[in-house]
Amino acid sequence: MKFSSSLKDGVLVFTLKGKIMGGPESTEFHDELKKAVNSGQRKLVMDLGDVEWMNSSGLGLLISALTTARNSGGEMKLARATDKITSLLVITKLNSVFDSHPNVQAAAASFK
Amino acid sequence: MTFDPRPPAHLPDDDRIARLDARFGELAELTDALLRSLREGAADPALADRWLAVWREAARGEAVLNLIREVERERQENQTLTEISMKLSSTSAIEEVLRTILDSLRQVVQFDAAGIFVYDREIGQLEIDMLVGYEKSERQILYQKFQEGVKVGQGIVGTVIMTGHYIYDPDVRRDPRYIAARESTLSELAVPIMARGEIIGALNLESDKPDAFTERDRRSLTAFANHAGVALERARSDRLRQHTRRMQEEITLARRIQSSFLPESTPDFAPYDLAGANFPSSEVGGDYFDFIPITQNDMGVAIGDVTGHGVGAALLMANFRACLRIESRNNFAVRAILGKVNDYLYETNLPESFVTAVYGVLDRQNHVFSYANAGHNPPFRLRRDGSAELLTVGGLLLGAFPNVAYEETSVQLSPGDVLLFYTDGVTEAHDNEGNEFGAERLRTMVQKLRNLSAREIVKQVSEAVREFQSVEIAQDDLTLSIVKYD
Repeated sequence: MKFSSSLKDGVLVFTLKGKIMGGPESTEFHDELKKAVNSGQRKLVMDLGDVEWMNSSGLGLLISALTTARNSGGEMKLARATDKITSLLVITKLNSVFDSHPNVQAAAASFK
Repeated sequence: MTFDPRPPAHLPDDDRIARLDARFGELAELTDALLRSLREGAADPALADRWLAVWREAARGEAVLNLIREVERERQENQTLTEISMKLSSTSAIEEVLRTILDSLRQVVQFDAAGIFVYDREIGQLEIDMLVGYEKSERQILYQKFQEGVKVGQGIVGTVIMTGHYIYDPDVRRDPRYIAARESTLSELAVPIMARGEIIGALNLESDKPDAFTERDRRSLTAFANHAGVALERARSDRLRQHTRRMQEEITLARRIQSSFLPESTPDFAPYDLAGANFPSSEVGGDYFDFIPITQNDMGVAIGDVTGHGVGAALLMANFRACLRIESRNNFAVRAILGKVNDYLYETNLPESFVTAVYGVLDRQNHVFSYANAGHNPPFRLRRDGSAELLTVGGLLLGAFPNVAYEETSVQLSPGDVLLFYTDGVTEAHDNEGNEFGAERLRTMVQKLRNLSAREIVKQVSEAVREFQSVEIAQDDLTLSIVKYD
């Protein structure tokens, strides 16, 4: 898994790439996310369009990111979830918890 | 050169040295006398002849003595290297071996401080493995500088590791590469440490005298560095072996935890035929299935999958199982059981770990299966007429969020119905081309085998999945269970 982040109009967008399956990179990701939240960032978007594959540890990463955001009064949205991820969200019923949008713009706009 | 461990016959014994000293004393006196006679303008030819004779004798003596010293040094060096080799074969404590190397080196080369540095290729930085001759404060300075990160190419040692060539610096005060820690150091000599043809570190010597080291010292140091290379390489492969062993132990432990919680036999529950199987992967996941007798006519049926692998997953699964078994005895409403299990797991687990599960109660008097699905791959209900239905009613996966409400529903079963429970290891098993086994293939297969016993269906399906999946790609646990209304 690789990730990068960019700030646009007050919304911090994390772009995740490759295989999301836990491991040291996910710790790195979570540290980065915590840093952002601790510095006052409340609006987060996870861009999942370039995610090839995700296992249950990957879902765990999204859940803990959401928990981190909400615990500090923030919110996290998903954007560009692939069919595979969407079906994973449906099976686990996480679609009732995550707010998922077709693209980053729509996800960012949903904060307003 | 062949090495003869016997001491050479011509050791510079005290007698020889005393005689040579006497010759030099005589030479000094003769020189004084000769100079006096020259100054007086009356050189004494006999005195000059005598001076020349003594000088020749003394010079020859000195040359022989140097040769003897050289042979002695060689002998000493060979002896200490032999001792180091013996140490290497008798102890695996790398610290002890490196210390012996530096201590023995002292018998061959004069120095004030020495260090063995190792290059960590993964992080691209140098580490200090052994230091001698440093004061505590100087040691701290050096350790701090290395902790901040000394890279290949930095400092004299770092340059040696980058280039693979020794560096002799007769005056470090004029060398910008020198990383100062000992104030008194004036000259430094560093040689690379090699192992299996690769540069793995450097051995360096420091002296408080300027220009303290010779070409002969460098050759000695290289010989000692070769031994350090053998010791370090062996320590590295020991560490690797230990790490692998620990990993294997962890897998064994996880597997033991996991298998101890799976049912050893399936209960008789006529007219229902029950069966289940779990095939742990090489990594050991956290799959679970269970048949829990509740009353004479009610049987709890569970399947679950825990995030992650290894001991952590096995423990979470153990936790989930204990919790589910306790709650299933206190409660009859499936949705209440899952709600309690969820809260308990939420309180005790890390936010990123969770369990997906289906839990239901099979009532054999009324032929009703009441279940709730907590984010798990939906089980199939396969009817005799070939139609199928997915058991999806329920709620969120367990343990990730607090206060989750679960829905439950009841399925009225008819003779011939097959309930098929599985984990994603079955449907996501993939072959070499990356094709998944898939839910559809699974459903069709079980439909075809529906007339066999539950045990036989489980056996044939798991064999088919294991045959389908690539052995080259790491796969998940496979878990499958069947409830069949005969």
